[in-house]
Amino acid sequence: MISGLVADYLPILLFLGIAAFVSVAAVALSFILAKQKPDSEKLSAYECGFPAFDDARAKFDVRFYLVAILFIIFDLEIAFLFPWAVALGDIGWAGFASMMLFLGVLTVGFIYEWKKGALEWE
Amino acid sequence: MDNLHSLMIVLPEVSLAALGLLLLLVGLVNRSNTTHVVSALTVLSFIITAATLISPHRLSFLMGGTAPVFAFGTMFVDDTLARFIKLLILAASALSVFLSGGYLENHKIARPEYPVLILFATLGMMLMVSASDMIALYVGLELQSLALYVLAAFQRDDAKSSESGLKYFVLGALSSGLLLYGISLLYGYAGTTDFVKLSFVFKDAAPHTIGLTIGLVFVTAALAFKVSAVPFHMWTPDVYEGAPTPVAAFFASAPKMAALVLFLRLLREPFMPLAMEWQQIVVFIAVASMLLGSFAGLAQKSVKRLMAYSSIANVGYALSALAIMNKDGLSAMLIYLAIYFVNTLGAFGVIISLRKQGQQVEAIEDFAGIAKKNPLLALAMTVFMFSLAGVPPLAGFFGKYFIFLAAVKAGMVPLAVIAVVTSVVAAFYYLRLIKVMYFDESKQIIDACPCFGVRATVTLAALYMIIFTVWPQPIIDGAIAAISGFIRG
Amino acid sequence: MTLPLDLIAVFAPLLGAIIVGLGNRALGDRAAQIITCALMLCAATASVMLFNYVALEHHVLDRMLLPWIQSGTLNVSWALHIDTLTAVMLVVVNGVSSMVHIYSVGYMSHDKSIPRFMAYLSLFSFFMLMLVTSSNLLQMFFGWEGVGVASYLLINFWFHKTSANNASIKAFLVNRVGDFGFMLGIFGCYLLFDSIQFTDIFARAPQLADTQIIFLGHNLPALTTVCLLLFVGAMGKSAQLGLHTWLPDAMEGPTPVSALIHAATMVTAGVFMVSRLSPLFEYAPSALAVVAVVGALTCIVAASIGLTQFDIKRVIAYSTMSQLGYMFFAAGVSAYSAAVFHLMTHAFFKALLFLGAGSVIHAMSGEQDMRKMGGIWKIIPKTYTLMWIGSLALAGIGIDGVFGFAGFYSKDLILESAIASGTWYGQLAYVLGLAAAFMTAFYSWRLIIMTFHGKSRADHHTLDHAHESPLVILLPLVPLALGAVFAGYCAWNWFGGEGRAVFWGHALFVVPERDTVAAAEHVDEIYKWLPLLMGVSGITLAYVFYAVKTDWPAKCASSLGAAYRAVYNKYYFDEAYDYLFVRTARKLGDFLWKRGDDGFIDRFGPDGVAGAVVRLAQRASAIETGYVYHYAFAMVIGVAVFISWFWLKG
Repeated sequence: MISGLVADYLPILLFLGIAAFVSVAAVALSFILAKQKPDSEKLSAYECGFPAFDDARAKFDVRFYLVAILFIIFDLEIAFLFPWAVALGDIGWAGFASMMLFLGVLTVGFIYEWKKGALEWE
Repeated sequence: MDNLHSLMIVLPEVSLAALGLLLLLVGLVNRSNTTHVVSALTVLSFIITAATLISPHRLSFLMGGTAPVFAFGTMFVDDTLARFIKLLILAASALSVFLSGGYLENHKIARPEYPVLILFATLGMMLMVSASDMIALYVGLELQSLALYVLAAFQRDDAKSSESGLKYFVLGALSSGLLLYGISLLYGYAGTTDFVKLSFVFKDAAPHTIGLTIGLVFVTAALAFKVSAVPFHMWTPDVYEGAPTPVAAFFASAPKMAALVLFLRLLREPFMPLAMEWQQIVVFIAVASMLLGSFAGLAQKSVKRLMAYSSIANVGYALSALAIMNKDGLSAMLIYLAIYFVNTLGAFGVIISLRKQGQQVEAIEDFAGIAKKNPLLALAMTVFMFSLAGVPPLAGFFGKYFIFLAAVKAGMVPLAVIAVVTSVVAAFYYLRLIKVMYFDESKQIIDACPCFGVRATVTLAALYMIIFTVWPQPIIDGAIAAISGFIRG
Repeated sequence: MTLPLDLIAVFAPLLGAIIVGLGNRALGDRAAQIITCALMLCAATASVMLFNYVALEHHVLDRMLLPWIQSGTLNVSWALHIDTLTAVMLVVVNGVSSMVHIYSVGYMSHDKSIPRFMAYLSLFSFFMLMLVTSSNLLQMFFGWEGVGVASYLLINFWFHKTSANNASIKAFLVNRVGDFGFMLGIFGCYLLFDSIQFTDIFARAPQLADTQIIFLGHNLPALTTVCLLLFVGAMGKSAQLGLHTWLPDAMEGPTPVSALIHAATMVTAGVFMVSRLSPLFEYAPSALAVVAVVGALTCIVAASIGLTQFDIKRVIAYSTMSQLGYMFFAAGVSAYSAAVFHLMTHAFFKALLFLGAGSVIHAMSGEQDMRKMGGIWKIIPKTYTLMWIGSLALAGIGIDGVFGFAGFYSKDLILESAIASGTWYGQLAYVLGLAAAFMTAFYSWRLIIMTFHGKSRADHHTLDHAHESPLVILLPLVPLALGAVFAGYCAWNWFGGEGRAVFWGHALFVVPERDTVAAAEHVDEIYKWLPLLMGVSGITLAYVFYAVKTDWPAKCASSLGAAYRAVYNKYYFDEAYDYLFVRTARKLGDFLWKRGDDGFIDRFGPDGVAGAVVRLAQRASAIETGYVYHYAFAMVIGVAVFISWFWLKG
């Protein structure tokens, strides 16, 4: 018998399994199905990235990180909004107000970064 | 209705947060005096928050305010202890903002983010000292810490400042990790993060499982890092030295108080049943801090590093008071903090105001002969150093006196003896600074900055050191009332 | 008595000392002189009136001033107790002191710190008065130490002179030895009597006469021990043999100081103390024997040294010591009134001699060596006359039943009392005293002839400037000279005659069977004439030696050889003390300083600890490497240690 506590974590196990399957499948399928024809341009890093195996002390543009960090903040906001949206019916006005406050705070931050020019590349 | 009640309890924090957001937007106005305005408004926000905190309306709403009241379930608690220390924190933050003005301009880092970061750090501290749940504790602590990391690296063009910010951040992350790991262990073994429930669990969990003990050690270690107690103190001298001087002053005052009171709350509430365990740890780190702070300070050449070791030693004294555990000891700790933060801010104020050809004065030997050119400044520094050394009749003496007295009364004579001996050793470096100021020949021209904020702070702090001697009652009564409301019988 | 005479007599000098001492230069020289002299004269007048009231009208004054110490059974107050003994001392102290004050106006006129000098003199007088008016041992000790301090300050008045520094330190140190005995004596008294109040001590002394105390396993007779300890104090202050070495050196001070402190008053404090404590000493006959023997030995030793000295002040100093010896053996044979009698007469003529010698020195531009004097009696005839009077009084010249100079009455009374006591030490004292009387006469006339007669041996320069002293110097000598001539004759009745018992009242106490003064009247005539014979033959021999056969002294000295050298070198007391105590103490001090203090205490104490702290500080500071991973490592170790601790502890 599986105890109740462990049983509660079963969906997570399933999720992990599916995630592993999908990611492996994506890489494997492209490896098997796509045509492999590398050239130097294809093998170089994307514009926003760096050579993965290079001197760690090389200079790089901090703006990549700025954008990444700002992205993460708003990305997480979405992750926060999903469960809230699902549970909105149960948590009532208090829940609604809380999220509005949270979004308000984020908006202040957004105005701040915008006005500071953090979103402008040049 | 319940939420309204909760909001009333956290009204000071809520208003401070709202004001902080507002000031962040105000800071976007691109004018030459924006930083000035934002700084002034920040101080005003602190005053508003303090007024809200102790406004009779709010207190009467909270049924007189002597009994602790909880908000948002048991996440947040408002009691006499929290109110007392929040007032001190707000005062320390406001004085820190005062101290910064001239320095920032001189180093061309006067940006409106600076006061706003201090404001958010203060908000974090207020949450910390009112936390009644591990999650709330963590959130408050991180809010404070993140703001402090940025402040340490605020002079970002300066390698030392960046280095100090980075070091603080990396080690702070480690300590946060320890804290989270400790919290998760506690949660795993106790099944709750609520302070009150935790204490019940600990009461029943005798003989204590090793898991709970390890959790306790991890949480304690993280807090020891925040108060910079030995052996988690290593960041302190480097960070104090590298960070802009007003930031170091801020570090030495408000966050120390917040972390110590958080420490106090944790040990007295959820961990109280484990008192026998944690008391040993606290005594150990207190003794180690006093010893290291006193001895290592002797070998310093930089005055900021010296102040760092001084703060380590002083945290040691406060932790000794904490280790005594009873009402006497805890109120002695609060009195000590109330004296120490003003003392250290004043001393930093003098350091900030001295300049050598436009540059900040760093080395102790640069203090040579300032008594001749700036007798008043030297006099103020003498008052601060004598007070830190615990020379009667200045305030610092009483701070130490109450702690030693409480330790002896509680039968912890060896602790008191070590405290006395280390304070004698530490007296050497305080007195040496006075000697350098008055008796050594100056080699270069040292000017004092004419900044109003610094002068006002130094003057106020020096007066406080003296006035405390003749009129210590408000602080002593406040501390005793804070502890009585907290411990209750 | 309408005026508070006792307060005036005691506190007027203190007032003067305070005003002049604090006012110092602001006050100016003249004002300082006027104030101190006027106040001293007030005190002297009050003392005379007080003498009349207390000694002649038979009152005893007791005035409580202030409570001082109240601790357990120890109860001490500041108080004035004035009986006949004190009254006599008051007259002597204030009388001589006021004369010396006036004399100093002239003698010190060229000095740079006149106010300081006058203030010291007045301060000394005050302490001396506290000493003699005390009603308990502690206040007496206060005065005793106070006069010691004043003496120290005055010997060292010319503090730029190394010899004065050394002399003052020597005086202080030697007196400390005596004072230590005195202190032990006071402790002993408190132990025995549970009080240091004279009245309590005297009341209980007869009952405790045979008490024993155990010290280091030995049974000691309590009273004798206490009396001997107190007598050690007296020996120090009064320069008795053994503790006498400071007195000749003390002549480094200005001459008025020598006259007042080291002749007339302070050095007689020991005699006063023994007399004051007569009710105690009377019950310790063994202690009295010691007092008598020490006194007699001092008397002869000092007189013999006096024969050989050439410094005019030193001769008189040894003479003083010798006369103090007389007083002590008088006290030793219970003839306290004779001792005090001699104390009084001696104060007059010895002050006169000293001040006269000062006048001579003044005339000779500071020269003190008698070998460089001579033939000046025509130049300073008044001083010469006064010195004659003083010397006659000192030598005790007079004819029994007709008239005599002051010393004649008192010295004869002492010698007769000694022989009348019928004890072995009394007889010893008589013989030695007689020999000393001969020597006294001899060195006195040796002094007069060498100083005033013969051919001058001074250089022309000095001689050209030689002059009679001004009136302000000579005038104070007149009352002293009158005292030296008439004091003995006038006061005989009170000290040695029929009026004795009434005069003294209860101030002195003698066990009836040992009343030697009374017995002195009945000694054989031969004993009464012998002293005079000695005096006259001493004078004659001095005349022969120094005026007729002037080569005899040198021949005599060379034929005596080693004996002469021993006497001339003061029996090598200084050398012996230097060898025994000074060098030993120095070596011990050296050892304790270099080995004990530097080598041990400092090395392992302050210096060692400081060094260790510095090393520790450097180590502690070196932990701070600057590497983040070291810091993180320290944190992790900290956590690991805490967990291990709990895990091991279980």
